[in-house]
Amino acid sequence: MKRIDPITLEVIRNGLSSIADEMALIIMRSAYSPVVRDIMDYSTGLCDPDGRVIAQGLTLPIQLCSFPRVMRFLKERFGDNMAPGDIFITNDPYGSGGQHLPDVYVLKPIFNDGALAGFAATVAHHTDLGGIVPGSVAIYATEIQQEGLRIPLMKLHEAGQPNRTLLGLIESNTRQPVEVLGDLRAQIAACTTAEKGLIALVERYGADFPIYVQALHDHAEAMMRETIRELPNGVYVGEDYLDGLGDNPVPIRIRATVTIADDTIDIDFAGTSDQVAASINCPISLPESAAFTAIRCLSRRDIPNCDGYLKPITVRAPEGSLLNPLFPAACGARGVVGYRVFDTIMQALAKVVPERAVGGSEGGPFLMAAGGTHQGRQFVLNEMLVGTWGARADRDGIEGISNPAANISNQPVEMIEAEMPVEIVRYGFVTDSGGAGRNRGGLAFIREFRFQQETGFNLRGDRRDHPPFGIDGGSCGAPSAHILVAADGSEHMLPAMPMHAFTAHAGDIFRLVGAGGGGFGEAFEREPARVLADVIEGKVSVVGAARDYGVAIDPATLAVDEAATRALRAENLQGAVA
Amino acid sequence: MTTSSYRIGIDIGGTFTDLALVDDSGTVAIRKVASTPDDYSRGIANGLGALIHDLGIDPQAISVIVHATTVATNTILEFKGALTGLITTAGFRDVLELRRLRVPVLYDLQYDKPPPLVPRRLRLEVNERLGPDGKVRISLNEDDVVRAAERFRVERVEAVAISYLHAYANAVHEIRTEEILRDVLGDGVYICRGSEILPEIREYERTSTAVVNAYVGPVIRNYADALAGRLTEIGVTAPIEMMHSGGGIMRLAASVKRAASLVESGPAAGVIACARLVRGEDRGANIISFDMGGTTAKAALIENGEAARTDEYEVGAGINLSSKLVKGGGYPIKMPFIDVSEIGAGGGSLVSLDGLGRVTVGPESAGALPGPVCYGRGGTRATLTDVFVTLGYINDVTLAGGSIKVDAEAGRAALRSQIADPLGQDLLTTARGVLTLAVSTMTRAVKAVSTYRGRDPRDFTLVAFGGNGPVVAADIASALGIRSIVVPLAAGVFSGFGLLRSDVEQEFVQPLLADAARLDADRLPCLKAELRARAVAALAADGYDTALAEFRFSADLRYFGQAYELNIAGEAGSGAVDALVEGFHREHERTYGHRSTNDPVQIVNARMNVRVPTASNITRFAPAPAFVRRDRLVTFDREPAMTPVIGREALDLRPRSGPFIIEDYDCTCVVPPKASARLDAVGNIEIEVTS
Repeated sequence: MKRIDPITLEVIRNGLSSIADEMALIIMRSAYSPVVRDIMDYSTGLCDPDGRVIAQGLTLPIQLCSFPRVMRFLKERFGDNMAPGDIFITNDPYGSGGQHLPDVYVLKPIFNDGALAGFAATVAHHTDLGGIVPGSVAIYATEIQQEGLRIPLMKLHEAGQPNRTLLGLIESNTRQPVEVLGDLRAQIAACTTAEKGLIALVERYGADFPIYVQALHDHAEAMMRETIRELPNGVYVGEDYLDGLGDNPVPIRIRATVTIADDTIDIDFAGTSDQVAASINCPISLPESAAFTAIRCLSRRDIPNCDGYLKPITVRAPEGSLLNPLFPAACGARGVVGYRVFDTIMQALAKVVPERAVGGSEGGPFLMAAGGTHQGRQFVLNEMLVGTWGARADRDGIEGISNPAANISNQPVEMIEAEMPVEIVRYGFVTDSGGAGRNRGGLAFIREFRFQQETGFNLRGDRRDHPPFGIDGGSCGAPSAHILVAADGSEHMLPAMPMHAFTAHAGDIFRLVGAGGGGFGEAFEREPARVLADVIEGKVSVVGAARDYGVAIDPATLAVDEAATRALRAENLQGAVA
Repeated sequence: MTTSSYRIGIDIGGTFTDLALVDDSGTVAIRKVASTPDDYSRGIANGLGALIHDLGIDPQAISVIVHATTVATNTILEFKGALTGLITTAGFRDVLELRRLRVPVLYDLQYDKPPPLVPRRLRLEVNERLGPDGKVRISLNEDDVVRAAERFRVERVEAVAISYLHAYANAVHEIRTEEILRDVLGDGVYICRGSEILPEIREYERTSTAVVNAYVGPVIRNYADALAGRLTEIGVTAPIEMMHSGGGIMRLAASVKRAASLVESGPAAGVIACARLVRGEDRGANIISFDMGGTTAKAALIENGEAARTDEYEVGAGINLSSKLVKGGGYPIKMPFIDVSEIGAGGGSLVSLDGLGRVTVGPESAGALPGPVCYGRGGTRATLTDVFVTLGYINDVTLAGGSIKVDAEAGRAALRSQIADPLGQDLLTTARGVLTLAVSTMTRAVKAVSTYRGRDPRDFTLVAFGGNGPVVAADIASALGIRSIVVPLAAGVFSGFGLLRSDVEQEFVQPLLADAARLDADRLPCLKAELRARAVAALAADGYDTALAEFRFSADLRYFGQAYELNIAGEAGSGAVDALVEGFHREHERTYGHRSTNDPVQIVNARMNVRVPTASNITRFAPAPAFVRRDRLVTFDREPAMTPVIGREALDLRPRSGPFIIEDYDCTCVVPPKASARLDAVGNIEIEVTS
């Protein structure tokens, strides 16, 4: 076997990841919809001729780790039927490796001198693909056919010629044809760029290229195995709950049994609730992706983002469960489950390596999709709001940040107001919402929308009855809330996962409060100076400091009352003993 | 020489301060002196004092000082800015800390965000509200403003940023707020309005820009005072002009108002010098500038003599590679910037080996101190400079005309024991490999400004400068398929030199957000005239001769729905809108590979760039301090071979085949085998790479 030169390996790795980043940049700059261009809910990668991922753009982990499955379907179905100039498309979770209908994969086989050299892979969350609600994510859908246009894996371009029939079908099935077709063009442009870049690399390294690609996989696998070997063998169980559906929610359980055996990890979701008659069912592609993301986060090494590191990890979920639903279960709003899978695995890992875990985060993106007609055109406001990390062993959580398994952005308030009949009244942090702990969880965010005309909207939240967990004695974060404030000032709490859409009247305010991050360690052990610093910053109130941390602070002077603090903390100890 | 007047360029870098002086005849003298980070103005005064003393120049004969500085950048990197307050619309004080949420790294649960430059307790809210059309929805509550001002007074804040929602559309509330603050706080407090510094939509970017400006403003004001004082002490009373990140110069007083625009002034100066090389000449007018110093490598794109611009930069984000994507690691400033992509690979970059046999170069750097092992200043970990000396690329005895002693054996020993031996490879193979790796890392900086914009680097000439740029230029060019390289005169102090070659330049922007198809025919000409009048008034206020001004009109266009615009140069005559739109379709296709001729096009901003030529004419260089050159062993392939080392002046118009090495006072240029070099008529080195 050829000896691998470590330097050439690094040069090739560098070249591949720069192509994946370039793809991401092209999509961001030329996309049309706010979901893609501002929120940046899309991902890019490169695969080898076997469909194995060899590079990832700086995009969303929870999407990136889904490429392996869709590539497997592509290879199986079209392995012998691909030619230069072909581009494939799918969004179908059943039989094509998709996640939910809005996530459209655009994949391009890349040929060099007639031989398959690899694939460009992109996935983007499209703003609307039809179905019963604007944005195509209706939590109350019960069959996938209600959710919008299903596109099984097929050719979007054949030998360089666009499939006009399919494009026409897409155009007539979306509420936002300009945005959707524009975003598809951006995905295609990214693939074309990747083609140029990959061919240049293949030509440069010739016969050595596949050898080095394999070495990259081997290297990633070795690093991951080494990471796992550092963890004590054992069986660790994590359990977390989704709040449940509708007005009288029944909690939905996610259970992960994590078995660490030498240099392998098996994650079994047996014991997870059955699939439900709502669209939060989660095709296996996403739990798999979330599990890979969680395990990848364990390693502090700079592992190449390629398929190799997935090899020591196996993921299973019983058929017919929430995490491996059977056709035709609806799955538009399944994202929340993926984030809960990440959290559940974190809880299991926190039992064995708390120093590498993170407390519960805000719960993943809160969705608020509103739509109607404005100035003669249909508008869709797609909000995907994230913002909070739980605490870590050696530091506080973070407020104002994307969920650890996502890497999405917020939409500029001014852009929303300039384009749609909605006013944002408030966007900020919620005092006292971070889970107390030796290290504090990040604060929850709050965002308030005032509708300027009658507007339909639908929601998907979570983490109200089951707020983000703390680790090692840290408290849970504050629960989330959905509040509709009528123009007369009366407030109505809406369900976390409502099973129907709502209509807001002009002047109504919808207040969305995310959950706070979980704390880490005993709150009464937090240094009073750090509690004081939070009080000065308005992140913890004077009352909260005494109640949650046992730190007495004089509201007038903003100084710690040390005697009173000792008394409060001693009282707490006695309480604990009693 | 006493009858001449002198222009002086001063560029402060982290390690060195470069000085360049030009007299009326166009003769340039250059100097490199150590920077004095505790008080940069001292280093400037010392260096300048020595230079004019050596040359016997009357300080009063200095007509202008053009200056670029890292002070603004360092203020942010070291969190040494002013205690700053922020006033926002009620409900939005956390916009600054929420940022855009994204993180610059994946899978890292130990990540921490950069702390906000204004603590939450000093972010105060005021009741007021404007609509996106600029209409007042809730009028300004002046009592809230007074309360905020009192609070700032008690807290002794030194600077205040004001940023209200939609203030880009109507500044009335911000202006009134500034008046009230001024009344309460007096003139000593620095105040910056979002609507003044960046009248553009997107609240976070505008607020961040205003905050960065307020945070560094008082520091720049103090620096300006200190600098003027120091110069007066040595008898220099010439006006001081500052280079801004957009590549033009402005009055010192103006730079205090737009302090954030000084952030990338040094790198901008280098790029401007590159652009001047080709502007108005028939040489291949399309160039990629490549600037490599001690800690980073930087690249920029120059087409038709104009440097490519960007309007967003994150200071403190580490590497700024593919800047728009790697968001969240620093502090965004939205202003006109020369689009410089930067990557953490320079002469001081550490060469490391991980437990699994992976080799990396940078971004960690040994910096100026302890520096490379071979400099003998306490560095123990192998750096790229140690690789250069191992290969014989740079002098193994002294550098910079003798001012730095080189201990080549120490550098080789470090590379051998830390990298080569653990890999089981011989030293020279390892050094070649590390160089290849460093080159592949640095080519990403070049790709970020070329292929990432749909440009093929092979269509460009590489202009290499900075202390290390000409050392690796031929390798970079080979890796990218570039055939032609220029190493200009004064390449090692090119940014300082570039200051002498810069013009007064400012840009005026008017947001438009209009459908191109529905724009009134006279709207653009009106806007053009308006912008032109604004530009003339601003220049006249600063005392520039507007009769000489050159105006360039352009517009930012995008397809409706897109978030990023492409800047398209305006053309004279009627049908201007159609020409802009067609230019946009063309540029979109070039950049992204497709156009959507039937989609509506939006004109987002109109821009007027105004330039008043002030650049010095350069005719020749004064002789640099002399030093001895010796031929040495250089490893280009497998085996070291004795290679000639010559001075630039030993070249002439006829190409000389490599391999050989050109050593100047300020930099070293490597000409490998399969390349040839010649001197052009002005003294620039032209390298042709044949493989």
